[in-house]
Amino acid sequence: MIPMRILLIEDDAETAEYVLRALAEEGHEGAVEHGGRRGLERALGERWDLLIVDRMLPELDGIRLVETLRRAGRSTAVLLLTTLGGVDDRVHGLNAGADDYLVKPFAMSELLARVAALGRRATFAPVQTLLRFADLEMDLLRRSVTRGGEPVELLPREFRLLEYLMKHAEQVVTRSMLLEHVWDVHFDPNTSVVETHISRLRGKIDRGNANPLIQTVRGSGYSLRAAR
Amino acid sequence: MYAAITGASFLVLFGVVFWSTARFMRHQIDDSVANEIDEILADSQAGNAGGLGGVVRGLARHPSGFYYLLQSPGGAAVAGNMPPIDPRVGIREWQEGRGPGGSEHAAVRGRGVEIHGEYLFVGWSTRQLHEMEEMVAGSFGWGLAASVALALVGGFVATGRLMRKIEAVSETSRDIVRGDLARRVPVTSAGDEFDHLAGSINAMLNRIESLMSDLHQVTTDIAHDMRTPLTRLRQRLEGARHPSAGAGELRDALDRTIREIDVILGIFSAVLRIAQIESGARKSGFTAVDLSELLGTVAELYRSSADEKQQSFRSDVAPGLAVRGDRELLMQLFANLIENAIRHSPSEARIELRAAARADAVQVIVADDGPGIPPEYRAKVLERFFRLERSRTTPGSGLGLSLAGAVAKLHEAAMTIEDNGPGLAVTVTLPHGDAGRYLAMSFSSSGTI
Repeated sequence: MIPMRILLIEDDAETAEYVLRALAEEGHEGAVEHGGRRGLERALGERWDLLIVDRMLPELDGIRLVETLRRAGRSTAVLLLTTLGGVDDRVHGLNAGADDYLVKPFAMSELLARVAALGRRATFAPVQTLLRFADLEMDLLRRSVTRGGEPVELLPREFRLLEYLMKHAEQVVTRSMLLEHVWDVHFDPNTSVVETHISRLRGKIDRGNANPLIQTVRGSGYSLRAAR
Repeated sequence: MYAAITGASFLVLFGVVFWSTARFMRHQIDDSVANEIDEILADSQAGNAGGLGGVVRGLARHPSGFYYLLQSPGGAAVAGNMPPIDPRVGIREWQEGRGPGGSEHAAVRGRGVEIHGEYLFVGWSTRQLHEMEEMVAGSFGWGLAASVALALVGGFVATGRLMRKIEAVSETSRDIVRGDLARRVPVTSAGDEFDHLAGSINAMLNRIESLMSDLHQVTTDIAHDMRTPLTRLRQRLEGARHPSAGAGELRDALDRTIREIDVILGIFSAVLRIAQIESGARKSGFTAVDLSELLGTVAELYRSSADEKQQSFRSDVAPGLAVRGDRELLMQLFANLIENAIRHSPSEARIELRAAARADAVQVIVADDGPGIPPEYRAKVLERFFRLERSRTTPGSGLGLSLAGAVAKLHEAAMTIEDNGPGLAVTVTLPHGDAGRYLAMSFSSSGTI
């Protein structure tokens, strides 16, 4: 876990308190602003690794805040918190320049997983064509995967699933993150599609291996890491 | 107002008729007088007539309606049947009673000419002209009076009718404001503009009434659907607070509470989503959507769920189907239909997803051979919170199909629910992606939206 400096811009004091505590438990350094205008000033005035911005803010709307930030040339990662049932919020938020969004109310594990994924983004090598984790290798150009040197045959969707897991190795990726990035599905489809694909992927990568790499994180999601 | 316009137009008409008639008659007089003068001059040339004086004298003895006067250069009357006048050349006219020299004499119009120093005047009585003018003026006067009177009466009648009709509309609106939403503006058999207006107002009132009743229904349903899980939640929390509850029980109760709250939030989220979709604002974000790819993904999402229930899932999607729309919403539409089919069909059931291009549309069918929906409920299933089993034991909010219906409507797509003999077949007919040519949206009680 890489500790980050995170600014939370959220008008609801109770939610803010709750999120800050969870971020601190993860080892992050968090600060909070309750108003949009003050939040923007602080976002511009200091160096942050990540901004968590609520969509509905007094004084300055969350989407406008992100737009202004981007126009000022700041590329700080932004996680936008959108409202329940806000059908258009995702599109508007991403168009404004947010990097990810999360619909309120959310599970804390979901927020922490997304925070970790965004933190990693900043230190990402720009172009990576070869992903490697333990003895697992993925060649993005040749679309091939090997485990311990042995080729593994994957279907296109399984390939994308493993690619996402490898790019976020050692982190927790949630079911909805996988649905969004692997299937491009932005609602909860109420199926076991993720579980089924993970189980197939395990069959191809981990079966018969003394060191399984795909772990289930109870109540949160999955993670690519060496078993302890 | 009505009367004033009628009067004014009548006056204009009168002016035109009066002026052109008088002009025409004067012209006639001038022509005959000119002819008479020509004839007198021609006759006087003939030797046996005794010159100009002789001719005029002869004519004056047997007057034929003409007035003649021949004056010497000194101003004395030489011959004729009228008193001497001021010898001026050209067209001249006198009104009645104001004859030359103050004498009583008829109204005359004529022409004076000078011939070798003598002055010859030939005239014609303008009595007829004046009589005609009086007659025209008189009849127009009566006509004006009559028409103004008629216009006034007509105006009163029309205004009264208008006021009555307007009063009917405002009375209806007052009743509606008072709370009687069933009131409608009366429509007469006249078929005039007012009936058109009344028809439009009534159509609007029908729409408002149905929206109000929808709103009422939804509010009641939300309250009803929320009360049961919230009551359960309360009981569980109360039980967990009991001193005898161990840490494990407490944790278990909290987990279940969170799951239950997620279900409730999911219902709220779906209600808000439907409302947003129905508002139509989302339409601005329509793009070209590869429906074949989308349906492929949806099929993939649910294949595993069908497998778990030992149901067979067959997908037959033609390649290259393109529509215009909102990818996310369309995906949710078909996801809801397939999820519905899987959930309500028993194990071993067959579920099918078929999609193909038709002449002017793209047709997607989700069919199963499960229990289906009785015909009388097919229209109802699109309503919010409607569920076939009133016990509400299976999971689900009863919002899946209404959400699907709202998305279909947003895309101007027809969604029909039919018997699959046995089972259910839901057909969604979407306009082609290249243009919004397909606008056929049928609404009927047979379960078509």
